[in-house]
Amino acid sequence: MSAADTNETLDKITKLLAGGLKTRTEGIPETEKEFGEILNELRALAPDDLEGKLVIGGFINHPYGEEQYRCMECMYYLVHRKWCDLPELAVPVEPDWWCRLWRI
Amino acid sequence: MANLLWLQGGACSGNTMSFLNAEEPSACDLVTDFGINVLWHPSLGLELGDNVKQILLDCISGKIQLDIFVFEGTVVNAPNGTGNWNRFCGRPMKDWVKELSDAAQFVVAIGDCATWGGIPATAPNPSESVGLQFLKRAPGGSLGTSFKSKAGLPVINIPGCPAHPDWVTQILVAVASGRAGDLTLDEFQRPKTFFTSFTQTGCTRNMHFAYKVSATAFGQRKGCLFYDLGCRGPMTHSPCNRILWNRQSSKTRAGMPCLGCTEPEFPFFDLAPGTVFKTQTVMGVPKDMPAGVDKTGYVKLTAAAKAAAPAWAEKDIFVV
Repeated sequence: MSAADTNETLDKITKLLAGGLKTRTEGIPETEKEFGEILNELRALAPDDLEGKLVIGGFINHPYGEEQYRCMECMYYLVHRKWCDLPELAVPVEPDWWCRLWRI
Repeated sequence: MANLLWLQGGACSGNTMSFLNAEEPSACDLVTDFGINVLWHPSLGLELGDNVKQILLDCISGKIQLDIFVFEGTVVNAPNGTGNWNRFCGRPMKDWVKELSDAAQFVVAIGDCATWGGIPATAPNPSESVGLQFLKRAPGGSLGTSFKSKAGLPVINIPGCPAHPDWVTQILVAVASGRAGDLTLDEFQRPKTFFTSFTQTGCTRNMHFAYKVSATAFGQRKGCLFYDLGCRGPMTHSPCNRILWNRQSSKTRAGMPCLGCTEPEFPFFDLAPGTVFKTQTVMGVPKDMPAGVDKTGYVKLTAAAKAAAPAWAEKDIFVV
């Protein structure tokens, strides 16, 4: 994905989340089995189904919970690219966002 | 001259295959340069049937001095403690193991199965397998906690699935050349010279571990295998990245997670589905931390490392 495409996609996601897109923030996977089930749901999506990824991933545009978990500390987050490197997501993200596939 | 006898119990012969590939020193060097006389070995011995049995009986009676007894594979106790599922030379192997261990100057367990049961002892352990002096982490095993060989040492455990060939030959040379007194063993009776450092020690991915960049697929040269793919390198004691395999590589160097095969719990989580090649987490935080690290420290370290990570850490610097 080119830098221009990345920026365009990031802008699109920002607008979707700011516009109140209802995503699945409940059902945070506690086990690898549950984590794997969410991945399977994501794999079933069309590659360009951006909204589906956000909904199933449970994206929010702010840190999560008392401990303020955020993409910035997630294993899949590439700081310099502002990119989620989890293959099933593979989307540009802001450091202060969070999703339920977060892991550290 | 040191007489060595090698037997196999509940084994796949993997450690024998590994041993025969040793290079420093090689299996042949043991005989030609270090004075080891191989009385019998399942893959090398010329004797068959009653002739093998006679060697074993002579070792037990003392007619042949047994300096080093090497055992590979589990001690099988099934069915119902009889050991009849693994008979050898007319009797349960477990009985040979007991008597030969009592007769030997040194007893060496090679591989996970002989050390603490390995894969055969995984629940529900239908073969009632145990290691020579451990069952997983619990001391005891087949010979019991108080066992000491004639030279006064407990069983020397060289774990691994398989054990690296040079760990085996180097320990055998140390014992055969009268330097067993120089060996110090850890709490699991592993030689400290090999099993004090971690698999991660010398791993080429350490910079990705430091900057918290994860590999997301096998074979990737970029990224650390610990965060997502279940690598146990940071908490496994082995020199796999110091004494390389085939003198040139290791699992992690090839993009394959360390499975922790030198630790008593191997295979972890009783091989339950979804536990292999996947880092086990609780609410996104690894269940098993790098040795000596607590959750709070880990979270703080991650935040700092991510904030400090240079751009190159996110790139595949091996592809130009």
